[in-house]
Amino acid sequence: MAIHEKSLIEPERLLHHDELVVDGVDVSGHWNTMITPRTLTDYDDDFEAKIQAIPGGENVHRCWQCGSCTNSCTMYAQNVQFNPRYWIYAVRLGLKEEIIKDKDIVWQCVSCNKCTNICPKDVKPEGVMKALAHWMEEEGITDKTPSTIFDEEFTEQIYHRGRIEDSHVLMGFYQKTGQSMFQNWLRVFGLRLARHLPVHLGLKFGRNLLMKPRTKSWGRTGEVLQQYVREQKEAAHG
Amino acid sequence: MQDTVLIVGSGPSGLSAAAQVAGAGYKVVMVEKEETLGGAPILSGYAKLVPSGEWAKDAIGRMVKRVEDDKAVTIHKGTRVTQLEGEPGNFTAKLSNNKQIKAGAVVLATGFTHFDSVNKPEWGFGTYPDVLTSTQMEQMVASGKIACPSDGRVPERVAILLCVGSRDRQIGREWCSKICCTVSANLAIEIKEMSPETDVFIYYMDIRTFGLYEDRFYWKSQEEFKTKFVKARIAEVTASGDGRLLVKGEDTLVKRPIVIPFDMVVHAIGMDPNQDNPEISKVFGVELEKHGFLQKGEQYTNTCGTSRPGVYSCGAAYGPETIDDSIAQGAAAGGRAVMDLAALVRKAG
Repeated sequence: MAIHEKSLIEPERLLHHDELVVDGVDVSGHWNTMITPRTLTDYDDDFEAKIQAIPGGENVHRCWQCGSCTNSCTMYAQNVQFNPRYWIYAVRLGLKEEIIKDKDIVWQCVSCNKCTNICPKDVKPEGVMKALAHWMEEEGITDKTPSTIFDEEFTEQIYHRGRIEDSHVLMGFYQKTGQSMFQNWLRVFGLRLARHLPVHLGLKFGRNLLMKPRTKSWGRTGEVLQQYVREQKEAAHG
Repeated sequence: MQDTVLIVGSGPSGLSAAAQVAGAGYKVVMVEKEETLGGAPILSGYAKLVPSGEWAKDAIGRMVKRVEDDKAVTIHKGTRVTQLEGEPGNFTAKLSNNKQIKAGAVVLATGFTHFDSVNKPEWGFGTYPDVLTSTQMEQMVASGKIACPSDGRVPERVAILLCVGSRDRQIGREWCSKICCTVSANLAIEIKEMSPETDVFIYYMDIRTFGLYEDRFYWKSQEEFKTKFVKARIAEVTASGDGRLLVKGEDTLVKRPIVIPFDMVVHAIGMDPNQDNPEISKVFGVELEKHGFLQKGEQYTNTCGTSRPGVYSCGAAYGPETIDDSIAQGAAAGGRAVMDLAALVRKAG
């Protein structure tokens, strides 16, 4: 039988079998389209609190699903799959899978804040979008953004040395984001700097590049700092 | 006889009408079919009332005491009116205790009957012990402990189903019972207060917490007590096999079927016409409107009227009503009866 409501079936729920026998009956060929059920069988009761712990998500529990956010949304006008009202509902009930399905568009929120201004319950949907994007990044559902990678490289160096070395941060960042070290702006920067013959700066630069100096009496400060940050994160996100 | 008003029913509206009539210097004969005064809030053991937050037995208890202490009020408990003859200013009522009452006016404060959830068998009431009605849940709150009736465990999740016995053509109930949304939001708050580890979900078609109930109950339950509102009319409540209940339906906001496990399910039952209304209609000679509640008289100049002159009504006898408004209408009906009696005396000169 033909599938009448094909629009209701997400492609990943369509299971194809070239050859399949069920209970001794051959259901290959025309009959081989199997569909996994779309029934929701549980809520994740802790999910809402998890999103509320991320800055921006605090007011998500206030939503009563009027749809003002989606109606006013800049991104919804471009793509009807971008539906803040729906994701907020999914957060409230803990329908995590529903949000993960849209992982490639949730982050596209442009923070125009029309939703925030129109929301009658002061949910701050824009904040929820940001919180969701952060949650997905933290859980590894989406790739780390370049700015997160930069922050990590920066922080790592602070932990170890109590200071950063510009060239090391840049090198680490470009390496981890798979970009070339030979950026045009770096070349121009280097050429113009060379015109001034900065002998002293050059010596310092070369020494720091090789010696990787630490801040005086940094000692175990980095470890303590690292532990403090970890504890704060755990306290906020559980 | 023109100094006496017969009041039938002793719920919030009847008690209010009695106090109004007695306060105006007239006599009251109050007839109550049950052995206890106070009506539904007392007989069904309501917990804290909406919107005052006072315990029913305290608030309604004060109304009962005020009437019982009034020398101008004669009370017949466990009694029904079996016959009413006469006209405004001159009624004669026969009671089931064989007494005869002369009265100038009659106030029917005969209220409503709670919807019987057995009439919606697909929602599991009467089949599973952990499916309760909102009146039973009120009693559980009043008892001070939230626990599953089946085995006494603290429920992790409670579902409240709205519109049970309301807004349902299948069972001939085409009205909104008006107060269940607010009462359910209030129940959700009470459950969370008493049992913080319990999550409460309210399954709704619309939320009708009208007027000032909006933020005081709906918003408060959602924002302060984390009640979750799910837009779905439940199709069926079944057992899961591991001692829990399965709530089946369609979540209309995600456009998908749901089968969600719960520990307790509460029916927010609606207000039916008083099951005695056919008899009341016959005995008092008053008409019923199409749903079976008492037919209102013309509202603008015959306030609190019925289809029979000299017979007045108030509160949930007319249709689903809140306790506060029933009390206000009771006072209005008492005032109306007294006003008409005074007019008759003046006319007679």
